[in-house]
Amino acid sequence: MATEYVKFVDVTKCDGCRACMVACKNWNDLPAEPQDFLGSAQSHTKTTADTWNVLQYIEHENSKGGLDYLFRHSACFHCTDAACEKVCPEDAISYTDFGTVVIDHEKCVGCGYCVNNCPFEVISLKEYVDKNGDKYRKANKCTMCTDRLEEGLQPACVTTCHTGAMQFGDKTAMIQKAEERVKQIKDRYPNAMVYNPQGVGGTHTVYVLAEKPSVYGLPENPKVPTSAVVWKDYAQPIGKMMIGATTMAVVGAFITNTIISKKKNGKNEDGGEHHE
Amino acid sequence: MSKPQKSTVKVKRFSKAFVWAHAVNAISFIALYITALPMYTEFFDWLYPVLGGPEGARLLHRIFAVAFITPTFIWVIFDFKGFKLWMKELVTWKKRDLEFFTEFVKELFGFNFKHVKQTFFNAGEKINSIIQIFTAILIIGSGFPMWFPEFFPRAVVQWGYLLHNVGFGLAIAVVVGHVYLSVIHKNSKPGYTGVITGEVPAWWAHEHYTEWYEEEVKKGNFPKLEDPHKPTSPDKKKKKGA
Repeated sequence: MATEYVKFVDVTKCDGCRACMVACKNWNDLPAEPQDFLGSAQSHTKTTADTWNVLQYIEHENSKGGLDYLFRHSACFHCTDAACEKVCPEDAISYTDFGTVVIDHEKCVGCGYCVNNCPFEVISLKEYVDKNGDKYRKANKCTMCTDRLEEGLQPACVTTCHTGAMQFGDKTAMIQKAEERVKQIKDRYPNAMVYNPQGVGGTHTVYVLAEKPSVYGLPENPKVPTSAVVWKDYAQPIGKMMIGATTMAVVGAFITNTIISKKKNGKNEDGGEHHE
Repeated sequence: MSKPQKSTVKVKRFSKAFVWAHAVNAISFIALYITALPMYTEFFDWLYPVLGGPEGARLLHRIFAVAFITPTFIWVIFDFKGFKLWMKELVTWKKRDLEFFTEFVKELFGFNFKHVKQTFFNAGEKINSIIQIFTAILIIGSGFPMWFPEFFPRAVVQWGYLLHNVGFGLAIAVVVGHVYLSVIHKNSKPGYTGVITGEVPAWWAHEHYTEWYEEEVKKGNFPKLEDPHKPTSPDKKKKKGA
C-alpha cells in the first residue's frame, strides 16, 4: 500500500484569494458557473458538480465581541469510512491507495444515493447529453487530484496556495503539524481545533479550524448515517437471504410434491381433494 | 379415499375490479423489481442495456411506480364491498386460522392433510395480504422522498432508502411463495385461473373456502354440493361478495 496522504488545510493562514478554486477548475477542466451576487465575497453557496471546491467567507462575531472574517477552503473530505462508498449500488465509488475516494464514471448510474448520504454534502449530480441527445447523470466531486498523485504531483489546490495554508503529505506528519498549529493559535482563537472527525474514521482532508465546526456550517460530529449502515450491512444481505430461503422452500415443496405424487402412482394428483 | 366426482360448475369468486387491481399490482410489482434489480445486485447489471441504460431503467421504474399505487384505488372505487370484506377478514383471527398453518405446511410439501374450514380468504392469504399491505406502505411511502429528495429533509431521504430496501426485500420473499402456490402448486392452481377470470370451480371453492361457500349457498348464490350429481343452479353466477 502506498503512503496514506492527507491534505492539511490551515484556515488561519488562508487569505481568501481563491487561487485554489481556479487551479481546481483549470486542472480538472471544469466549466465556470457564473452566479448572482450572494451578499458576500463568497462566489458559490457550496460545492457543485462543476465547482469541486468553494472558498467560504464567514463574518463571525468572536467571544470578545469583535469581528472575525473567516475563510475556509471547502471540498471533499475523503473520509476513511465514506458514506458515499457504502451506499453506492454499483461499486462506482472506491478508495485509492492514497486514501482518496474516487468515482468511476464508467460504473456510475447517476442514482444520487451518494449525494443524499454524504455527511458533508459535497457530492452533486451533473447532467450530460450524449450524441443522440439523450440525457444522463453522473455524480461528481473533488478527486483530491488522484490523477496528479499517481504522477507524483500534489493536488492542484495545494500547489497553487501562496500562503502555505494548504500542505499535502504523509498522514501522521500532517496531523502532527495540525495539532502543533492549534497550540500556536490558541491565544488568538480559543476555540481553534483540529477537524479530523472520527465518526467517519478520520478524513484525508484535515483542517485547523479557527472556530467550532458549526461556525463553518460543518457537522460537529459527522458519521455514516445510521440508516445507511442498517440498509447496507443488515437489510440488504438479510433481504437476499430471505428470497433465497423462500425460493429454496418452494423448490423443496415442488420436489417433495413430485416424489409423493409418484409414490401414489399419479392417482388423484390434481385438484387436492384426495387428502385424508 | 373415495374420489368425489368433480363437477365443472364454476362460481364467481372475484369481482372485475379485484381482478384488475390484482393484475396491475402483480405486473407493476414484477416490473418494479426487474427495473431495480441491477441496482440491487451487480449480477444483473446486464439488464441495464436491456432496459435502455440506467436512465431507461429509472424512467420505467417511475412509470410502474405510479401504476403500483393504483390497485387499492381501483378496488375501493369499483368494488368497495369486496374491499371492505377483505379488510374485515384481515382483522378476524380465530383458532381455525392457527390450525390452518399446521395443515398448510403438510399440504405445501405434498403430505396428507385435512382442510381446515376457512372463510373467503384463508389464513395464509390473510398473512400474505397483511405483509403486502405493510410492505406496499413502506415501498410507496419511501419512494416519494427517493424520487423527490429536494422536497424532503435529508434524514427522511436517507431513511427512505433503508425502508424501500426492507419493504421490497420482504415483499419479494413473500411473493415467491404466493406465486408458487398459485401457479405451480397442484392443489391451489384453480386459484390462479380464478384470479384472472374471476371464476373458480365450485368443488374447489367449497373445499378451500368452506365457510364462505356455505354462506353463499344459504344466500342462494351458489349450488349445494353435497350431491355431486345435481350441481347446477341457475343463478350460480348472480353475485358474490368480493
